[in-house]
Amino acid sequence: MQKRLIALVVGLGCGPVPPASVGVQPAPLRRPQGGAATALTPHDSALHALNRLAYGPRPGEVDRVAAGSVMRWIDRQLDPDEIADQVLVERERAFEVLTRSRGELAQQYFNADRERRERQRAGSAGDGNGMADSMRMQDTPGPEELAARRLTGQFVALTVMRAALSERQLREVVVDFWSNHFNVFLGKGADRFLLPDYIEHTIRPHALGKFADLLIGTAESPAMLFYLDNWQSVAPGSLPPGLRRASWPGRFGPGFTPDALRAEGRRRQALDHLPQGINENYARELLELHTLGVDGGYTQQDVINVARIFTGWSIERPQLGGGFAYHDWAHDRGAKVVMGIRYPAGHGMDEGIRLLRWLANHPATIHHVSRELCQRFVSDEPPDGCVDDAVAAWMQSGGDLRAVLSAIVHGPDFWAPANVRAKVKTPFVFVVSALRAVGAAPDTTPRLAQVIARLGEPLYMHVAPDGYPQTEDEWVNSGALLDRMNSGLALASGRLPGTLVDVDSVIPTNTDPVQLIAAVNATILGGTMTANTKRVILEQLADVADPARARALAVGLAVGGPEFQRQ
Amino acid sequence: MTISRRVFVKSGGLALVSLGLDPVFLARAAFAASRPVPASAPILVCLFQRGAVDGLNMIVPHGDPVYYRERPRIAVPRGDVLDLDGYFGLHPRLAALKPLWDNKSLAAVHAIGSPDATRSHFDAQDYMESGTPGLKATPDGWLNRCCQHDREHANTPFQAVAFGPQLPRILAGAAPSLAINDLQAFGVRGPAAARDRLTRAFEELYAGAATGLLATSSEEAFEAVQQLKQANPGQYAPANGAAYPRGPFGRALLQIAQLIKANVGLRVAFADVSGWDTHVNQGASEGQLAARLADFGQSLAAFAQDLGGRMRDVVVLTMSEFGRTVRENGNSGTDHGHATAMLVLGGPVRGGRVLGRWPGLDPAQRFEGRDVAVTTDFRDLFAELVARHLGTQDLAAVFPGFTADPARFPGAIGA
Repeated sequence: MQKRLIALVVGLGCGPVPPASVGVQPAPLRRPQGGAATALTPHDSALHALNRLAYGPRPGEVDRVAAGSVMRWIDRQLDPDEIADQVLVERERAFEVLTRSRGELAQQYFNADRERRERQRAGSAGDGNGMADSMRMQDTPGPEELAARRLTGQFVALTVMRAALSERQLREVVVDFWSNHFNVFLGKGADRFLLPDYIEHTIRPHALGKFADLLIGTAESPAMLFYLDNWQSVAPGSLPPGLRRASWPGRFGPGFTPDALRAEGRRRQALDHLPQGINENYARELLELHTLGVDGGYTQQDVINVARIFTGWSIERPQLGGGFAYHDWAHDRGAKVVMGIRYPAGHGMDEGIRLLRWLANHPATIHHVSRELCQRFVSDEPPDGCVDDAVAAWMQSGGDLRAVLSAIVHGPDFWAPANVRAKVKTPFVFVVSALRAVGAAPDTTPRLAQVIARLGEPLYMHVAPDGYPQTEDEWVNSGALLDRMNSGLALASGRLPGTLVDVDSVIPTNTDPVQLIAAVNATILGGTMTANTKRVILEQLADVADPARARALAVGLAVGGPEFQRQ
Repeated sequence: MTISRRVFVKSGGLALVSLGLDPVFLARAAFAASRPVPASAPILVCLFQRGAVDGLNMIVPHGDPVYYRERPRIAVPRGDVLDLDGYFGLHPRLAALKPLWDNKSLAAVHAIGSPDATRSHFDAQDYMESGTPGLKATPDGWLNRCCQHDREHANTPFQAVAFGPQLPRILAGAAPSLAINDLQAFGVRGPAAARDRLTRAFEELYAGAATGLLATSSEEAFEAVQQLKQANPGQYAPANGAAYPRGPFGRALLQIAQLIKANVGLRVAFADVSGWDTHVNQGASEGQLAARLADFGQSLAAFAQDLGGRMRDVVVLTMSEFGRTVRENGNSGTDHGHATAMLVLGGPVRGGRVLGRWPGLDPAQRFEGRDVAVTTDFRDLFAELVARHLGTQDLAAVFPGFTADPARFPGAIGA
């Protein structure tokens, strides 16, 4: 790999390559491509682009995109700030969680926890009404707890809403990608209230920006610092200034007073709860998952030294929703070596930034992250050429993610017929694309997110730092497929929880089953329905007299059927 | 080439694909025999403690002073440990397991782990599931390979079942294996009159148009739905007063017990239990880890109680990708280590013993000076259960590249 990278750099240096002045320029190698230059028709190119760079087409959208040039649509999607998104902006107003700061959310949870403790105390002090009573009391959440849950639920619902309704579809897909690459588990302690801020202000603004900014943003985010424990990682033996010295002179000293005794008691209690050394958790996942990859060439000693470099990167009172804080007193100021690079003694937070910038542009990182992107956008087993294009664009643009993405989608592999409909949808993509296919919208409740959870992908609830997988072997199994079939049937008959659907406006009822099937094929499957599927649906419709039931059946079988599982 | 590893294996090789034959059909034809599965056939239940459980606080070496020296804040005090053999003891919140230890159906294997040194959760889990430490290219999982040449179970889709929303790596491979999240909801839902018809419709849709994993997985699903209907597990009430803790792990074990009693031919079952990555405030006798252990132990105990006499056919194996540092870290937690402890439970188990060779906790005895050294390759234990419990002869096919030597088996099963 190293050798190949060097060859690419040399190639960039001497080839007739225009400078990457604009992020949306395709990578210079192996060009030109695009829908027109491949075997795909404009219709198929538009369908493919909408399947991969968006959460699937809405009714009529394939034709609209095809008519106006697929490449122009893609370039617009790569520049999302120029796309008006009024419908979504209006809908977002209903999401109170967006108006709450990190601190306000923390306060809500603080109140909820206090309420729960009081309820539990009341429950356990019961007067013999039995276990059942106290259990019931403990199980019934009070108003503060309901409010906290509602806000978290809203945030998850908002994610589904944006994916379904935003005109800036590619950005939403990329946000989902980075939310998994830099996964934070919503269920871990303070991350209940730190995560919304993390997605809104760390992931979303940088999703199509520079990788280094995204990396540094996550490293400094309270959500990640809490999730991977770095906020408590300190140089061994370090003490915060306020706790360093005993505040009383000893039991028989001249300053001995009851107040001084109490202060010393508090000091000792605080000392007991202080972190006493480094924590490797963030350091390891930073190298393994966020940057270099597990085969990136680092050792256990490198992990330890990276952890030392990040000692003192902390949070100002996490339980109150505080922000990033660098504690110089907790920082290990000794000399360190990471993968052969020397970090001299005496440095503070600056060496962490230096390390992150170095990691962000390390060849192993570039290859690792480029390959992940190709896996998401092109194929579960991305061809080397595709990854190479992304790597070249990364190096040329200094890690500009828009340029990298542009290189991938302008490359020949993206459009190769073998890679069209070659990926199986994740549960999230499946549900959102089903909504879009029938022109449905989510309501503001988390019920639809619960459907996605039942299909195996509860949003922001992946416990481990690797995020949800993007490949078909992780998602396709017997139980999951049955669940998808059931979801298809439920959607088509208006029974999918949390969904507002009006199939009439998209596929009118039709007493001619052949015409009905043709409409379902065009609208929901983009014309990819196989002869077998047409035959099976036709047979099913044979004795269904009620046109609305017939339509629900045809739509349900199409959404739950095999063609719709692919993208 | 976008053929997934599961399809590739099912096909028996790429050659079939290039000949234009339907490899899935061929592979499935190989499973077309039909002999009834005897109700007393052995069953192996594998439980994965994802996140790397701290073996030292699960099976506590309370006789080792180094343990207490290295863990001033998180060691389980000697007075709290439930002594097992004078040197090791159970964490107090595993008390539910003590009767199983006392009746000799529970054994522990300590200082067990991977010969590969990785401290990456994901690589280590991958190796433990593929059964080939250090080799990432292995396409299938060892538990699936156990089932690949088993003709007795060939007629049941339930020979291998994972409880959860995803099919784990350990069950990836050519042998049919199911992922079931909720046994009660497993099937096409709809009004009773329409259900069979909808099921058939989807079955035809997938039989005709699905390719790759979509085809094999859907076929397995429909076979299972059909058979489950006949077995009709219905409403399930645990026997012998067994009370499973609420929560996903208790629920998974309850469903495994249910499926075992339904006699649908279950041979291997799998479930995950998470929450073991205790980098911060893991606690000692009480606290975070203690709460996870309580759920873990009570669920296992409920399972054994529920199955009662049926446990004579069942062996439960718990595993975790690695252990944790001997010394507590700066946050009253532990970081990624090397060897851990595993439990083996069931009628065929020669229990009441801590198996394996204890390497000691002195810095000089540790792996890389910091972690419990591995003295038992996890494959030695897994191979023993596969050979002596499941009766698989060809261990080289289950653990390729590993020479299983009965002399190195920890001795969990009566030989």
